[in-house]
Amino acid sequence: MDINYFLESVISGVLLGGIFALLSVGFGLTWGAMQVLNISHAVFAVLGAYLAYWSFVKGGIDPLLSIPMVAFLLFIIGGVAYRLVIRPVTRARDVLMGSMVATFGLTIVVENVMSGFWHPDPRLLKPSYTGTSLFIGEIVISKASLIGFAMAIIAIALLYIFLHRTFTGKAVQATWQNPTGAVLVGINRDRVSLITFAISIASAGVAGVGMGLIYSFYPSVQNDWTLYVFLLTIVGGVGSIIGTALTGLLIGLIMGVSAAFLPFIWVNILLFLLLLIILLFKPEGIFGV
Amino acid sequence: MENENPGKPKSSTADRFILLAVLLLLVVFPFFGPPLFFLSLFISIFLFISLTESWNLLGGYTGYISLGHVVFFSIGAFTTAVCMNCFGTSPFLTAILGGVVAGGVAAIVGFPVLRLKGAYFSISSLLLAVISQLIFLNWEFVGGSVGLWYKLMPVSIEANRVIFYEVMLGLALLITLVVRYVEKSKFGAGLITIREDEDVAKTIGINTPMLKLKAFVLGSFFAGVVGGIYGYYLSFIHPDITFNINTSLLILLMAFFGSCTTWTGPLLGAVVLSLANQLIVTFIGAEISRVLYGLILILVIIFMPNGMIEYLKMGQKVRKSQVG
Repeated sequence: MDINYFLESVISGVLLGGIFALLSVGFGLTWGAMQVLNISHAVFAVLGAYLAYWSFVKGGIDPLLSIPMVAFLLFIIGGVAYRLVIRPVTRARDVLMGSMVATFGLTIVVENVMSGFWHPDPRLLKPSYTGTSLFIGEIVISKASLIGFAMAIIAIALLYIFLHRTFTGKAVQATWQNPTGAVLVGINRDRVSLITFAISIASAGVAGVGMGLIYSFYPSVQNDWTLYVFLLTIVGGVGSIIGTALTGLLIGLIMGVSAAFLPFIWVNILLFLLLLIILLFKPEGIFGV
Repeated sequence: MENENPGKPKSSTADRFILLAVLLLLVVFPFFGPPLFFLSLFISIFLFISLTESWNLLGGYTGYISLGHVVFFSIGAFTTAVCMNCFGTSPFLTAILGGVVAGGVAAIVGFPVLRLKGAYFSISSLLLAVISQLIFLNWEFVGGSVGLWYKLMPVSIEANRVIFYEVMLGLALLITLVVRYVEKSKFGAGLITIREDEDVAKTIGINTPMLKLKAFVLGSFFAGVVGGIYGYYLSFIHPDITFNINTSLLILLMAFFGSCTTWTGPLLGAVVLSLANQLIVTFIGAEISRVLYGLILILVIIFMPNGMIEYLKMGQKVRKSQVG
């Protein structure tokens, strides 16, 4: 086996893993902090990809520059979704199941609205610099993956800083650790939940832009992305940002290595079998609490 | 005679008469020569009644939400297809075998997976569906990515439809009755206890793993039988069709909509939502129908979080307390 080819597979896998990690941290955040299983997480990532796509194709705005706008818009959309769909559900007897059903409904709505407006043709974000590749020695690395990865790492770092260094972020953690206690010390649980959910959706949107640079996307690709999100979140441990990020890299590594040796279709089977086994034996995840 | 139990609705004999009349009507309906479209619609409704009721054995009564019911449906379908292609046997005979194979797989798979709780169980079942789909897509013996064909019956299209109509009606009826029986039995009581509080159930001596497994296997058996027949009706099966995750989610939706706590719920949910979907698609448009579907799901879970039957029961209680 050509060592260069192997290294290329591994590197591209890891870079991809980073982006998947960003896609998943938000999902883990709402699951851990609010007991909400947000199945619509990935579909909002696709929405983010579309927003970047249209601003690039129609407005000539580079996808990387449109990231702040995408994040902002999806923050607002997340907030609205929280008020309309999530908050009523959190009053139910079984929040986890109720949120699963409700967010599934939300997913259907968003996916089909996008499909209706923008048609299910595959799209790809192709600014001029993504076509070329970087050469390190004899190893070829796709620039798109590198840029996406860098963006994902920055976003994950920002999320981490938010959670651990800002007051609101600490309030989110407090609500997560002890909802009743948080309320007792004066934290507005509704406000915190709103912000948590909105940030989660915003991060999904940004991740979508990253994914859009590498993979072609269409509304129903959210089905595949959702599976990856489940994979990373559960293996990484629900709600642990570091855990999810590291798992992203790990999964990316596994994907890269197996892609070098196995036919493509078996890579997925392997990954999902792995997830199933981990679920059966250590559902809290590798880094979970 | 005074109604001794004021909570119970009076006179179930009148209800029984109505039910029997409706059933009779359904049975003779195809012989009045309605357009084939209606027969197809009813067949689809019977399919969903069967799938949703059989799903509810585990999902509704124990609270273990499985997203993998389609796996067993598919196993049944592929079993009958393979039997027909290899041995020439009619799926009407081999459907039971399909059910048994599906039940067998459920027994093996259910053993480790049913130990998980809540969301973890649901995600595992989803993974099973995905992995199974991938395996079937790459397995030459069951047609791989090409799919499998059934030999058509040597009868006219009309007769073909009528036969499937009656068979599916029979299946839906049978499965619903079995689920109703289970609900009122000790088995069902045990299942419901699991949903209410599994740990307490264990402490009072209920063998929870065995009960869950039984419910899972029984439900999967029925899904397999239905799959065996329905595959024949489609006359062509393919992993992308039979393992479709949307079907799993639709089953979930219908059960929740109707109320997964009782046997009438999935029945109502399947009928109402199938008809609603058909009406929307016919009168409003196919594209929007999916969006409306999602909206209905959201609204239902917000306003009728326990489903329609529970909502109606609650309304009945309120009315009764106001009259009394």
